[in-house]
Amino acid sequence: MTEQIDKALAREYEAGFVSAVESETFEPGLDEDVIRRISEVKGEPEWMLEWRLKAFRVWQEMEEPDWAHLSYPKIDLQSVSYYSAPKSMKDKPKSLDEVDPELLRTYEKLGIPLVEQQMLAGIAVDAVFDSVSVVTTFREKLEEAGVIFCPISEAVHKYPDLIKKYIGSVVPTKDNYFAALNCAVFTDGSFVYIPKGTRCPMELSTYFRINEQNTGQFERTLIIADEGSHVSYLEGCTAPQRDENQLHAAVVELVALDNAEIKYSTVQNWYPGDEDGKGGIYNFVTKRGICHTNAKISWTQVETGSAVTWKYPSCVLKGDNSIGEFYSVALTRGRQQADTGTKMIHIGKNTKSTIISKGISAGKSNNSYRGLVRMNPGAEGARNFTQCDSLLIGDQCGAHTFPYVESRNPSAIVEHEATTSKVSDDQMFLCRQRGVDPEKAVSMIVNGFCKEVFKELPMEFAVEAGKLLEISLEGSVG
Amino acid sequence: MSEWLQHAIAHADSIQDGFADQRAVSLALLKDTKWPSRKTEAWKYTPLRAVERSSAVVKEESPELAPVDVVGLDFLELTFVDGQLVSMPEDLPEGLTIEMQESDLFTTIKPERHIFGLVNDVLAADVAVVTVAENVKIDSVLRINNLLSNGAQGHIRVVVELEAGAALKVVENAEAHGATLTTAYTEFLIGVEAHLEHYRFALQAGDNVALGGSHFKLLGKATLNSSIIGFGSDLQRIDTDIIYAGEKAEAKLNAIYLLDGTELFDLHANVEHAVPNCTTEENIRGIAGDRSRAVFNGRIHIHRDAQKTLAELNNRNLLLSDKAEINTKPELEIYADDVRCAHGATIAEIDKKALYYLQTRGVSRSQAQLMLSFGFINELIDQMPTAALAEWVRPIIRDRFAQMEVK
Repeated sequence: MTEQIDKALAREYEAGFVSAVESETFEPGLDEDVIRRISEVKGEPEWMLEWRLKAFRVWQEMEEPDWAHLSYPKIDLQSVSYYSAPKSMKDKPKSLDEVDPELLRTYEKLGIPLVEQQMLAGIAVDAVFDSVSVVTTFREKLEEAGVIFCPISEAVHKYPDLIKKYIGSVVPTKDNYFAALNCAVFTDGSFVYIPKGTRCPMELSTYFRINEQNTGQFERTLIIADEGSHVSYLEGCTAPQRDENQLHAAVVELVALDNAEIKYSTVQNWYPGDEDGKGGIYNFVTKRGICHTNAKISWTQVETGSAVTWKYPSCVLKGDNSIGEFYSVALTRGRQQADTGTKMIHIGKNTKSTIISKGISAGKSNNSYRGLVRMNPGAEGARNFTQCDSLLIGDQCGAHTFPYVESRNPSAIVEHEATTSKVSDDQMFLCRQRGVDPEKAVSMIVNGFCKEVFKELPMEFAVEAGKLLEISLEGSVG
Repeated sequence: MSEWLQHAIAHADSIQDGFADQRAVSLALLKDTKWPSRKTEAWKYTPLRAVERSSAVVKEESPELAPVDVVGLDFLELTFVDGQLVSMPEDLPEGLTIEMQESDLFTTIKPERHIFGLVNDVLAADVAVVTVAENVKIDSVLRINNLLSNGAQGHIRVVVELEAGAALKVVENAEAHGATLTTAYTEFLIGVEAHLEHYRFALQAGDNVALGGSHFKLLGKATLNSSIIGFGSDLQRIDTDIIYAGEKAEAKLNAIYLLDGTELFDLHANVEHAVPNCTTEENIRGIAGDRSRAVFNGRIHIHRDAQKTLAELNNRNLLLSDKAEINTKPELEIYADDVRCAHGATIAEIDKKALYYLQTRGVSRSQAQLMLSFGFINELIDQMPTAALAEWVRPIIRDRFAQMEVK
């Protein structure tokens, strides 16, 4: 069995290639000048620069958090380059035809349908390569519906009122160490605005790719769903295979105004490092959404990549009757470490939240669920249900659960349950008796274990997630 | 460093006895330990203001105090008043010995760096060691009384050792008469195939501060049945550790807390599965009324080699008032794959449908509330192996509950 696990762990990271794109990259280092330069390159207005500098000063006073169940060498933030852009982006392409074909090939290799497939799939894509947004597709069609979907750097110029009003409104600059850093140095990301009463005509998607060596990616996504609107948003990420650790510290803010609904799905497949834990992405992400009256935010994530994951997509259920959901599959193998979960803050009356978390640990990895459910005194009639299941494959891994449950309202009901198990000999025996080979059997059992989460993903992503899991598990049980 | 701790350290420096060497080790650790704040994970929900405000002092002379009577039980009494050992049972059954330890005592069952464990290390003056000889099964119940008079500080330490095949019943009983402060740590070494039946009653509600713990180490095939019952006070914190050091050992822990007024109760239960084939079952039930605050942390740690472990933790809470607060954190930390582990936690109010049903049957609302909530904790009282103790504690809990206001 151990042998087979080793074999499985030795599998190639399929998105690990480096693209030969000429880039313009800042020298590593972080100080106010770097921030001024980022702002200058982006041609940002003065208020944006001020906002960044303010965040930078806050960040300087902060300490790196150490409470997570993770161990990694201290990150030297001075050795990271805070800006990298493909050179061909200097004169921004007006359409897909003008984009550097090498870049397009990169996305093709990754299986991101930028052109034709996309017509069929009907998904609008914003692709972020290192520090800049490369291309956003289907913009015209979206504009017809009044939907704004563009790089956030563009939105700063075109929609300053919306940006000023909402940026930092869900994740304040001083929220945490990595969020503050992101506020200071964020380079690009996506901006979405869905007007009142509009159902976004297609799924929106962003694909993130870190290419340059020694760069960090600090993207920032802001999605605003105005009253009564609906949007489904997908996010995917990959990075080349490198020996050094690379930092990814993103911030995602969701605002669901009255009666609006946002569905946010992530398939995270950053380079996880090799089997000895060399290289890989440090994924320190702050994701949070705020729900106003009757609004709903649903987070679905499939986490298979990154050397270290520190990520807690959360919902602030501020409005009465609002709903928060969190569906997660986190798979770790090799020497990966994941500390991920969610926070559900119930403020309004009759707010509801559901948390379904499935953790799968293999190899020598450690996988932790960390969650907070808080019922504030005003959360009359609120309800939470949490289920965290862990599956262990092999005897060298770890699975952990750290749920915080706080209630200050007697009419609120909170339920939490967690179980841990392994792929049982009985299950395997039954499958093999029916002529299913062991690998297929494990894949079936794990897929069944994750079914509740996969069914929440949009179809295209569900297929990708299932495939990703299958590859990751190849040969992990004998 | 807090002023209170400075005083404690100064006092410890002035004590001269056989423990001096070990006290110095603990003092060094204590001086190196940060005073817990909201940012200290183990004290996140439990502020130490009550300790800092406490005016209780170590007294030179103490009044005579006697522990509460329990009908139907004739205890072997080991009684401390204000931290001083005042009485030991005279006729001990054969195989049971109790000795005052003069030196070389501090054991390692209690966590090394727990701040109040260290305070206890440096301040405990009288330390008792209880031993049950091999294969001796003691029928009578040993009661360790920690009695405190108004304004007194008391720090007690007891070590209980059960040799192979031995059996013992121990009750830890705390009674505070007024504004007091205590740290009380008891360490149990349960030998191969030995059995310990354990109770910790912390029913001293009021303006007292009580910190302490019961720490168990189980050798092969040892069994433990422990019940903890607590009311809150200005600050009531109990740490319990169950450490498996031999295979096929089993432990069951039941705990109940029932809080009223502005009381605070904090139970930290930690289980270390360091060896394979052990079984843990934990049932924790809590009720918080008025403006009280309940804190529970239940950690189960399964080490790399602890295959075939079965561990279950269940924490259910009733919140009776919108000014009260319940914080619970059941934790699993698992490094072995062939194990079955589960934990569950719920926080809710009394089931409205059940309440309505009883009312339609002519039961008054308050009576119905009592029946439903009391039933919730009575289940655990019923599981106490020594019936006389259950009979004694049941009306105490029921009366307290009856006085509490349900919103």
